[in-house]
Amino acid sequence: MDRRRFIKLSGASLMLWPTAPVWSQMPSPNQPNTGKKLIWVLLRGALDSLHTIVPSTDSSYRQHRPKIANDLLTSALPLSADFALHPALQNLYSWYQAKQFLPIVAVGSGYDARSHFDGQDFLEAGLGHIDHDSGWLARAVNSHQSQGLAVSQTTPIAFRSSEQATTWYPSRFRQTKQDTYAALLDLYQESPSLLAQLEEGLATQQLLRDSGTASSGKANFKELTEACGTLMSAENGPDCAMLELGGWDTHNNQANRLNRQLTELDQGLAALKASLGSQWQQTVVMVSTEFGRTVRENGTAGTDHGTGSCMLLAGGAINGGRVLGTWPGLKAEQLYQGRDLKPTSMTFRWWATLLAQHWGLSEKQLAAVLPGSQKYAIELVRGG
Amino acid sequence: MRTYDQTNMAIIAANRFGYGLRAGDDLAPEQAKIWLKQGLMAPMFDKQLPSTTNMMATIAKNRMEKRRLKDDAQQLDSDKKRYPRQQHLAFLEHQFNSLIHAEHTIQWRLLAFFANHFSVTAQNDLMWVLAPALERDAIAPNLLGTFEALLLAVIKHPAMLIYLNNERSFGPNSKLGRRGKGMNENLAREILELHTLGVDGGYSQTDVIELAKAITGWSVANPVKENSAGFRFRDKGHEPGQRQLLGATYRQTGQSQGEAMLTTLARHPATRHHLCVKLARHFIADEPSEILVREMEEAWLQSGGAIKQVMLALIDSAESWKPARQKFKTPHEFVFSSLRLLQPPTIATKRLASALKQLGQQPHKAGSPAGYPDTEADWLGAKALMTRIDWATLAAGRYRRNADELMQTALADSASERTYNKVIRAESRAQATTLLLLSPEFQRR
Repeated sequence: MDRRRFIKLSGASLMLWPTAPVWSQMPSPNQPNTGKKLIWVLLRGALDSLHTIVPSTDSSYRQHRPKIANDLLTSALPLSADFALHPALQNLYSWYQAKQFLPIVAVGSGYDARSHFDGQDFLEAGLGHIDHDSGWLARAVNSHQSQGLAVSQTTPIAFRSSEQATTWYPSRFRQTKQDTYAALLDLYQESPSLLAQLEEGLATQQLLRDSGTASSGKANFKELTEACGTLMSAENGPDCAMLELGGWDTHNNQANRLNRQLTELDQGLAALKASLGSQWQQTVVMVSTEFGRTVRENGTAGTDHGTGSCMLLAGGAINGGRVLGTWPGLKAEQLYQGRDLKPTSMTFRWWATLLAQHWGLSEKQLAAVLPGSQKYAIELVRGG
Repeated sequence: MRTYDQTNMAIIAANRFGYGLRAGDDLAPEQAKIWLKQGLMAPMFDKQLPSTTNMMATIAKNRMEKRRLKDDAQQLDSDKKRYPRQQHLAFLEHQFNSLIHAEHTIQWRLLAFFANHFSVTAQNDLMWVLAPALERDAIAPNLLGTFEALLLAVIKHPAMLIYLNNERSFGPNSKLGRRGKGMNENLAREILELHTLGVDGGYSQTDVIELAKAITGWSVANPVKENSAGFRFRDKGHEPGQRQLLGATYRQTGQSQGEAMLTTLARHPATRHHLCVKLARHFIADEPSEILVREMEEAWLQSGGAIKQVMLALIDSAESWKPARQKFKTPHEFVFSSLRLLQPPTIATKRLASALKQLGQQPHKAGSPAGYPDTEADWLGAKALMTRIDWATLAAGRYRRNADELMQTALADSASERTYNKVIRAESRAQATTLLLLSPEFQRR
């Protein structure tokens, strides 16, 4: 239906707005929608992987961290012979037992300086260099002909360069009257960028109204993940989404701060699973952070910016219940530049592996989505 | 027949450099440049607002009382609990009033720019009062002086020292360090990456550590034990010895070592370039022209980094007066330019702060030392626009105004035919005002 006709109609009754949400207006995909969901959670601020997937048998660990490691080593939940999980991650632990959680240790993006902002941009671009206009998830949904959702006020870099992605975020303001929207659609006829954002905003609003998701407007992570799951499991809902959670830059008081942060992450992911319902079985959740933190604790019971970190994979489609990644060791001579965990595998290559196994992207498609990043020959996805 | 003219310098001046005109304002286009230059003065803060020492001491006392009461399973009384947020609101109320009612606002835009450049986040009781205090104590008085003076004042302010964890950062070979108190590199890294050279400014990890060592001991007085508040150099925590930064040796001892490094960094060509590009990006265009940046850098060089001279160069540049609106207003700019136009009789500070939060730009809550972003890609998103629409609807409905007069003030003859007709023919006065605020011409500057 063309826009002018819509505006005409809307004068009569906009409540009967027949326009479907942005993702159902897309040209119908070549491959039938398989319903396989891909969700990326970006932890902004650099999660300390050593305080999350604890290298419990590495004898250097305790020496590097006299203040913050002891309690953790006692309370961490055993995963494999060599690793244990932070006790706040209770849901992830139960998923590990159910073989739906798969941590990968000593992962790096290839970004080798220590700026949060550049590190995040680098990760979101997925190109091996910073590009503010093209993101890896945007290229992935373009390639897979699926629809993306950023749970965010504006489009994060990861979703830039796709017409198939939109944004959603809760608001506490009263709803604007429908005729104002109609007038604005007309007002923006000569302003393409404003018009595009307005149309997407309206489509998303409509979808939420249809699904009856009421938001309390308080944007904590659990509510965001819940809404994300609801939107994704709607009929013709997006099959790719991005969530963000900040607060990981623990230069001081790390033990207490990460207790709170990891609890929020764990509960948010549990809410995501619950709201996805049966779709969880076909879901892959990837959790990344821009880089790791120093292996040695600093003088204020925290850690500073580092290099290698971890990647967390979860979901019904994940072939989990094991810890992957080659452990580089924590002896002084084994550290990257004498201070950081040395990455032994590449973030982008793990993503490529997942895109191939979960979404069936071909080598050629992968080369466009994550150029230069070969997939690993290891089964991450059940039957993948 | 109405004329269409985008070159009105009064409209460009008020919107590009300030928060727009107030209802009823009438600025002659030929006066626009002079008028802008008259506005380049230090922003004034209400003398009634409590001093930083006073606020820090109150919070320290309240914290002690809270601990005592906790032992008896009791709670702090609610006035004392609310104290930090209330002081914060008192600052905001004062600032919001100036932004909405003052004739000149270029100095407030410049203050907001540097407050964001040196962004700190209100993340606990102390930071709620220190974040606005940083603007009043360190930024406002140095806003039109040299960047060097501004940098030193900001880094030594308790807000920055505490936010970036330097107040307890002590050198490993200092007296305190040998007793087990350690160092962290958070503030030093952000000084290099964000405040001065910029991320591509050519420093190394070693430079970060050397600067971090040079500013060990830069701390904050304990208002209870030391009977004062504010910057305190703790010699016992300062890493002894000479340091190397960017290839130069610093043989100073004590506090002057860090000061000498900050002075060098403030005068560095990479800093000059970083700041001039960022200022031009803030005021003029997401991708500012090289000519403009060069003119500003020239003024910086000639004046030894005098911010006022750089601003004068910005105002005098032909690049700043192009008719095309190249900037999409941030939520902050959008809200205050709307309210200047609407001139509400009273301001509900708390509600307004909450609106800014919903719009994505809560004061003192950037959540990262990089501050809020400053380009269209960061602010124009589907959800952001929907939230803006909701807010504009509320604001326009609350203060009913004559939209065609407002349109004349805000846009003069620069409203397109489409915008003009939509506003004039809207179904209600409230809707006309809503559409004016949301028009492409008003959302861009």
